[in-house]
Amino acid sequence: MSDTPVLETRGLGRRFGGLDAVKDVSLSIPAGQTLGVIGPNGAGKSTFVNLVTGHLRPTSGRVLVDGHDVTGARPWVVARARVARTFQIVKPFRGMTVRENVAIGVLYGPTGTGAMRHALRTADEVLERVGLVGQASRSPGELTVADARRLELAKALALKPRLLLLDEVMAGLRHSEIEPSLELIGQLKAEGMTIVVIEHVMKAILAISDRILVLHQGQVLTSGEPREVLSDSRVIEAYLGQRYAKRQEA
Amino acid sequence: MATDASTDATEATADPDTGTTGRPGRPTAGTTNPSLVRRMLPWALGLLAVLACLGLQTQLFTGQERTVTTIFMFVALAQGWNLIGGFAGYACFGQVVFFGLGGYTTAVLMSHAHWSFWPTLLASAVVAAIFGALIGLPLLRLKGHYFAVATLGVAEGMREVITNVPSLTGGGAGISVPVVGDQATTPYLGNDGFYLLFLMLAVGTTLLSALVSRSRFGFALRAINQDEDAAASMGVNTTRTKVVTFTVSGFVTGLVGASYGFQQITIFPERLFDVNITVLMIIMVILGGSGTVLGPVIGAVGLQFVSEWLRQHYTDAHVFILGAVIIAAVVLLPQGVVTYVRDAWRRREFSLLSNVRRYRL
Repeated sequence: MSDTPVLETRGLGRRFGGLDAVKDVSLSIPAGQTLGVIGPNGAGKSTFVNLVTGHLRPTSGRVLVDGHDVTGARPWVVARARVARTFQIVKPFRGMTVRENVAIGVLYGPTGTGAMRHALRTADEVLERVGLVGQASRSPGELTVADARRLELAKALALKPRLLLLDEVMAGLRHSEIEPSLELIGQLKAEGMTIVVIEHVMKAILAISDRILVLHQGQVLTSGEPREVLSDSRVIEAYLGQRYAKRQEA
Repeated sequence: MATDASTDATEATADPDTGTTGRPGRPTAGTTNPSLVRRMLPWALGLLAVLACLGLQTQLFTGQERTVTTIFMFVALAQGWNLIGGFAGYACFGQVVFFGLGGYTTAVLMSHAHWSFWPTLLASAVVAAIFGALIGLPLLRLKGHYFAVATLGVAEGMREVITNVPSLTGGGAGISVPVVGDQATTPYLGNDGFYLLFLMLAVGTTLLSALVSRSRFGFALRAINQDEDAAASMGVNTTRTKVVTFTVSGFVTGLVGASYGFQQITIFPERLFDVNITVLMIIMVILGGSGTVLGPVIGAVGLQFVSEWLRQHYTDAHVFILGAVIIAAVVLLPQGVVTYVRDAWRRREFSLLSNVRRYRL
């Protein structure tokens, strides 16, 4: 168990017509590690998450979770293999309370039982962790942007995941709102959870990633130690353009 | 209100005694008692209503009894549509196909195979359910108006199929269930019999809806209704949940169609696969409150009652006025009566105008 990577992809790719949204992405994340994935808009970060969680079927390559091949498996199969994700654009269930939103994951997740009482109680425990317990009886439509992002995280945690994929959970948050999120992710790391973080907030990425992988036009540009990767001129070029990179070198 | 049961349950756990200590033991008696009363109240009221209906037919004239029987039929149909269209959010515009299939299976089995009515009733529902599963598998991959148009097409197509196999179905000339003489396999149920049959169907479908609403399965349906990708990523097998729902919806609607086929004695494809029946189901559910337990009941009773009243008082213009009433209702209460009352009660905000504003019409 300790040798098998929690997530492994081999030559993973997805074509949309003539466009390679993701091409030949191979990576391997050992248990307990946090991988930061960065890249400019349209680099294929969200598509990559969708390929891992079964929301999109890969056109090439394989996805292995804990050594089991889940390539092309439906999202609920992947979820029950204890892989949880958040969505870049939050997806609350609007007709339900915040507590019920989270309870779905307990009811249908890997440990899913039909017991409604148990599910609602477990949902409260998760809400307590993310700091939403005071909003439990509210409708998701009444939440602030920051709280809506927390709900997204709570829904993922309800699955008691081994692998957590966070697709920009801090986007649109103020500085003061990012701190508690970072703290929570730090706690999850300490508990041994394996995490993939997609984020544009560099401070956040640096604080929590063990390794960083840079996607550019669907392909892996580079990967490695955070500081190393961020000082790579190719990365700067991909983000800020050639001219800026040249000026830096000069 | 039966639909409030889920919030009752959550309020119980919101209580600091049970919420923060998190002890897995049984909840204290003090917290369960008031919510127990509140939870039993809708069931008690429902039981009273059913008991009242059980005696009602003896007080009605024949014409009135038939009208009430039709109302029961539409309650059951609306509940059937509400499962797929309301809870799951898949607006099926071809629901009448299950109704027609149920009616025709009954007519064919009773006249050609000489089955008696009761086994036929079950067989008809099973045929409709199997058909639901078969078309559900491909069609439930579509969403929104694509699903609506596809199901509409299926219903129209099925009507043509039934019309074009006259040796089996009698074609456009119709088919008759034998109800008199040696050929009759089951004595005709008569006005009182059909009143009770359709009452049972209305009660049964409403109970089913109440059970679904508070179950784990109902949670999955509401999640699918709101966001299918999010539901799937939380472990809900969305394909199976949708197909099972469509199958059950077909079963229920098939039961009603079978009963209607027997009641009518002679049935025609034009009548049994009439798109207006689908439209009525949809209007009733939406006016009453889609995805709620009582919405279809209130929608069906309300619409039929208003329609009948207008027919008697404004013989010439009743269709025109009914149309205006429906438009006004949809504009003022886009979320349906039940949902409006529930939200208005919670917010203490009863103005219809602010309701319209909230839904940005």
